[in-house]
Amino acid sequence: MTDLRYVLEVIAAMALVTFGLRALPFVAGRWLEKHPLAHRLGEFLPLAIMALLLLSSSVSAVQDDPHGPWPEIVAVGLTAVLQWRTKIPLLSILTGTGVYVVLRNFI
Amino acid sequence: MFRFLSIDGPARAALTLTAPVAMGYVPLGMVFGFLFVQAGGAWWLALSSSLFVYAGASQYMMIPLLAANTPIGTIALATLIVNSRHMFYGLSLLKKLPEHAIARWYLVFALTDETYSVVTTMPDGNRNLMVRIAAINQCWWVFGTLAGALIGAQAKIGLRGLDFALVALFCVLAVEQWRVRKSAVPLWSAVIAYGLIYPFSAQNALVLSIAASLLTAIATLKWAPRFNHD
Repeated sequence: MTDLRYVLEVIAAMALVTFGLRALPFVAGRWLEKHPLAHRLGEFLPLAIMALLLLSSSVSAVQDDPHGPWPEIVAVGLTAVLQWRTKIPLLSILTGTGVYVVLRNFI
Repeated sequence: MFRFLSIDGPARAALTLTAPVAMGYVPLGMVFGFLFVQAGGAWWLALSSSLFVYAGASQYMMIPLLAANTPIGTIALATLIVNSRHMFYGLSLLKKLPEHAIARWYLVFALTDETYSVVTTMPDGNRNLMVRIAAINQCWWVFGTLAGALIGAQAKIGLRGLDFALVALFCVLAVEQWRVRKSAVPLWSAVIAYGLIYPFSAQNALVLSIAASLLTAIATLKWAPRFNHD
């Protein structure tokens, strides 16, 4: 992360893409509202994408861990159960991360 | 003179409504700023991300991607995919936007998951209050980022596994998507796609399985519930 121009270009690209997505309904709202495919994607993709992001970030954590995959499985399971029960993202994220850090460093 | 600082009426209403968001945005912003700086980024670049991108999950995602020198096009595509749900947030606000052009476009820019959920569950559609809430929420996020980045720039923490916060964040978002699911097919098809693709192309497994999910969604369109075409 030392190439300043590269990081600035990434920030600019991400800002443009994100703003574009948020502005789209105000520009093409009627199309989005009417088109069944847009509804289908809005219903289908969020769960699929979040599951894939979780899966792929967990897999790279396991690869980084000589004692994997148990610390990852325990911490992800704990985070999921806490979130399911409490609905408090901060509690789930901090507890899951805290337990994982302990498992990685002290056990 | 400092009338805008006095906590009364609308300012108090906005602060009260954003308090739960602050509880999440300040610490999560801090984790973002901290991890960004620990990965080798400058503190003001972390701050710029929170000022101009302002999208939690994709900002977390950008840290490992930047550290791995991922091409800009790939990062833009990943951002498009991770943030695609934001496309649907504006639909319910189409007729409720503020009149003033700057206020209107700022609100559109600042429509994060949390701001969206606060402004759509507000008791009445007070348009100025909506903008105030959006601005205060972003202040919390920016403040957290700055604090985390400054701590990260000082700290030499030798703890492994702090970046698990990213995995935990995706876990929380996945659980919330699971809670409001209409069907379990998106989850199973995504997991199966990943399992099939990973042995052949571990490097591109994420992007390829997202593409596979997109195709599955399109292919199963005819079995999706029908919508009213009035």
